[in-house]
Amino acid sequence: MTNEKKKKAINRLQTMYPLRANIDKMYERGVEASKAGKPTVWSMVNWWEADPILKAMGLEIVYPENYGAVSAAFGTAQAYLERSDAEGFPTHMCGYARNCLGYAARMKDLGEIPPEAPMGGMAKPVLLLSSGSLCDARYKWFQALGRYLDAPVWTVEIPHPGVEESQIEGAYKQAINFMVKELRELVAFLERLLNKKINWGKLDEIANDLIEINRVWYEINELRKTSPCPMHSRDFWSSMNASLYPAGDPKVSLKLYKDMYQEVKDRVENKIGAVAEEKYRLLFAELPPWHDLKIFDELAERGWNFVVETWAYHPPKPMDYSQINDPLERIATQTYRWFTGYFEDALKEREYMGYFAYPYLEYARTYQCDGALLHPLLTCRTATNHLMLTQDRLLNKLKVPSLVAEGDIVDLKLFNHADIMRKAEVFEEMMDYYQGERRKEGLEW
Amino acid sequence: MMEEAKKGLTRVREIYQDRTQRAKELKAEGKPVMGYFCLYPVLEMLTALDLVPYRIFGDMREPITRADACLPTVVCPFIRSCLDLGLKGKYDFLDGVVMCHSCEVGEKTAHIWRTYLNPSYFHFIDTPHTMHEAAQEQFKEQLKGFKKSLESFTGKELPSERLEEAIRAYNQQRALVRELYDLMKPDPPLISGTETLQVMVALAGIPVEEGNELLRQVISEVKERKDGPEKKPARLLVWGSIIDDVALIEMIENAGAEVVMDDTCVGSRAYFDDVELTDDPLEGLAYRYLVEIKCPRTFREAVYGETKKEHMADLESRFGYLKDYAKEWNAKGVILQSLRYCDIHGYEVPGLKDYLDHIGLPNIYLEWDYSKAALAPLRTRVEAFLEVIG
Amino acid sequence: MTKVVILDTDGEIRARIVGPTGAEHRRLANKVMEEALEQANLSFDEISYVIATGYGRINVPFADRQITELTCHARGVASLFPNAKTALDIGGQDAKGLKIRDGELVDFVMNDKCAAGTGRFLEVLADALGLRLDELGSISAKSTNKVQMSSTCTVFAQMEVVFRLSEGVPVEDIVAGVHDAIASRTVSMIRRLKIEPDVVFTGGVAKNTGVVKAVRENLGCEVLIPEDPLLSGAIGAAILGKELTLKALAKGEPIQRKERRLEEATFFK
Repeated sequence: MTNEKKKKAINRLQTMYPLRANIDKMYERGVEASKAGKPTVWSMVNWWEADPILKAMGLEIVYPENYGAVSAAFGTAQAYLERSDAEGFPTHMCGYARNCLGYAARMKDLGEIPPEAPMGGMAKPVLLLSSGSLCDARYKWFQALGRYLDAPVWTVEIPHPGVEESQIEGAYKQAINFMVKELRELVAFLERLLNKKINWGKLDEIANDLIEINRVWYEINELRKTSPCPMHSRDFWSSMNASLYPAGDPKVSLKLYKDMYQEVKDRVENKIGAVAEEKYRLLFAELPPWHDLKIFDELAERGWNFVVETWAYHPPKPMDYSQINDPLERIATQTYRWFTGYFEDALKEREYMGYFAYPYLEYARTYQCDGALLHPLLTCRTATNHLMLTQDRLLNKLKVPSLVAEGDIVDLKLFNHADIMRKAEVFEEMMDYYQGERRKEGLEW
Repeated sequence: MMEEAKKGLTRVREIYQDRTQRAKELKAEGKPVMGYFCLYPVLEMLTALDLVPYRIFGDMREPITRADACLPTVVCPFIRSCLDLGLKGKYDFLDGVVMCHSCEVGEKTAHIWRTYLNPSYFHFIDTPHTMHEAAQEQFKEQLKGFKKSLESFTGKELPSERLEEAIRAYNQQRALVRELYDLMKPDPPLISGTETLQVMVALAGIPVEEGNELLRQVISEVKERKDGPEKKPARLLVWGSIIDDVALIEMIENAGAEVVMDDTCVGSRAYFDDVELTDDPLEGLAYRYLVEIKCPRTFREAVYGETKKEHMADLESRFGYLKDYAKEWNAKGVILQSLRYCDIHGYEVPGLKDYLDHIGLPNIYLEWDYSKAALAPLRTRVEAFLEVIG
Repeated sequence: MTKVVILDTDGEIRARIVGPTGAEHRRLANKVMEEALEQANLSFDEISYVIATGYGRINVPFADRQITELTCHARGVASLFPNAKTALDIGGQDAKGLKIRDGELVDFVMNDKCAAGTGRFLEVLADALGLRLDELGSISAKSTNKVQMSSTCTVFAQMEVVFRLSEGVPVEDIVAGVHDAIASRTVSMIRRLKIEPDVVFTGGVAKNTGVVKAVRENLGCEVLIPEDPLLSGAIGAAILGKELTLKALAKGEPIQRKERRLEEATFFK
């Protein structure tokens, strides 16, 4: 009887564990490297636009956004947030930014990594790599860090065209050219900063590895379209890191993803699902509640299988890069496609938020979702702004209902676990009802 | 009997009370009116194709009721208000809308506007985030795309001569606005901050030549009148997020100060830099719009590609122009204001305060939420600030 | 609360009144003034100058001038504690932090939007616990294991204390937790001023020994409390009035006074 209870509601992939282990090692490596005098960069997640270049220059990369989540999980965020408030930064701003600003202020006071900083903290950087992509905090915050750190800030550019405008003749080529020119400038800058030359061969290799990693990762996620879905969102979030950040040796990551592909394929062939009984297939947007992923286990016991999630973390649609010789162009192309890959389809359907919102329509259809769980965040506008449009389009276009659960990236108390579980039954009734509605509309699932 | 057309400040107040009136008159005359958001849609291009640019503003006196279905409440209240008015049909009279990558919420709202309001013409200009050379080229490409789109919409070609003509007309407007602002330099200023903002708001919805004529009238009226603003103990500069309604400025002026200068986008940011007439007009336009407009949504750096970073030098390069403004307009203090949830201005505040403290300019930061009710508690802070610097 | 202080040119306090304000406050500032005049044994015409401060300052028809409570408090605190450089004032509906240099206000922060971090917070929670405001201090002194409040909002905190009580948590620990919450919030607010000693704590909430203790702990330094924590604003206002009067007299100028009568505010009738 006890063993039955202990059996996990979500059938985790074995191949997930080594991929997940990479994340923890990332901080340790960062701290060790800095202690050994290796130059460190604080970087925003940049969807492989700058990271390959940073790696090819031998830099150690740390991600303050990620560190915000870590601080929140370890309970040290509060002190850093208060410090940020005391420094005069408005309180509505991104929790990760406030956490980092407070941390940097404290580090400046002490002249070294604060002793209470979890996971070894973040070492003083030689460069702040910011990005204009997706949200304003991601370059304004690094600019504001100039109060506490004397590292220069470099902002990588990425075009954000509208759906219609992106399909104008010549627009694609211009966007890529723009990004490539910027990346060339970044290389020149880094060579001056570090007083050494980039290893173009290494860059080429890293670029190819990433493209391949993402291709395999994409194929894995395609396999989730079947029923029962073999891989739960929890496994996605645990395994995605190596596709987003340089987490150790790319060749190792590639092998781990290939192993995962095999495991998932086996499950598909044997009709093994990620939950015992798949009653409902759900999508999740946008950022997961990292501190309370257990809620998914509880929902899995009710038969909720989360089959697709977080557009911002999903790999780009693959393409043939073999005709592109310049590694910078390959990198720029992959990143640009990450953001705009759905635009062509979006335009056909006259959906104008081609990233963030539209992909969920495609997901709902191709992954055959019965419902969506939406997670608006108090201090992350970027991950929240599109959710209402998404909810509206899912319901009115595809007859797929959404359940909304509020939260925040650092104020973890806002997420109301009990409330969501209370609403689960009612939502199941809604999902049942809308399944009927979809049949009437002639939709396939 | 024909009523005499109102002129000068009277006409300004008339337009300020209801901006749509003139726009609707123009439409009745067969002139298309093109709505635009933020400062990056190039007005010269619209004017050169005989489209009347009409800036989209919010209404801080109108409660937001429809926008909450499309945008979360924790975003810029000005943008929410604009969308709310759009959803309520207040902008249905526009023949089209041009939006841009103003800030992240502005960008998302552009797509949301497109989705729900489905204007007969819509174009999104993707403004790059930096002023790098490649970014300037990219912005120029964006303008080329915009040009094609406008030509397609109007069925007309946009010849260089018309564009140059428009550039001259707008440069003329910019010069006239600067002339108007110069009238705030004396003590007491010949025109108040409140009145100046009314003029700026009025200009944003009428054709450029009408605006130029109106400016000339206002300038001569203000120079001649005997009942201008009274002398007040404090002269202030106001920096920050968009101010499209006089309520905040009025509150500050009623508290015992004169707002003699601003660094905001309905005010000086829109007018203080001219477009250089280049062989390819788009070149000069791209440069002036991307590089010269001093909004913090654009990432500015002291030395492009600097490998060393010095905080005060960085601040000097980003904010040094405020020192000049304060000097020229003899401002004794600075009010930093931003809307709640405005990230692009919010992140600037501590650094800007550092800079202002460094150059010895007293300053205070006010955060408000684009409602009249929000202003009452702010008044105490403004009065206390005036008592401190008094 | 409506407070009145009457000061003479030697700086001696001739009257001090703290009266409840209530909904009628806007009309009845004159009543409290009359009480003060009686206490000082003076007629209204003998008052050289009247300064009104605080929220209702625009509703005092017999005031010669209005000055913000920020400037007045700073002055009052500086006169009571010459070495004061930072002041924290927590009143019934707002909280302020003041930076003082050479007796004058140089910087400030305010919270007048959110009830948490003001006296209102304590009122609501005392009510929820069935306690009087004036017994909170002595009750919290008995605490051995103060509660860590997780709600930052007054409304949610209200639910939280009731919940804790029902769980059997000792009331003294809950009250100590409440005191810690308000202290931590207000100290956090004044940290924006770069706190320098001496730190002075004023306002009605400074009468609560439990909050005083919590503020000391959160600040990590000593705080000074005036004998009458509610009067520093009125004292400061009176001092400023005295200075304006003496300055005018020294210059041989008339004292800038408004035509004034001691009566109710008329614009609400």
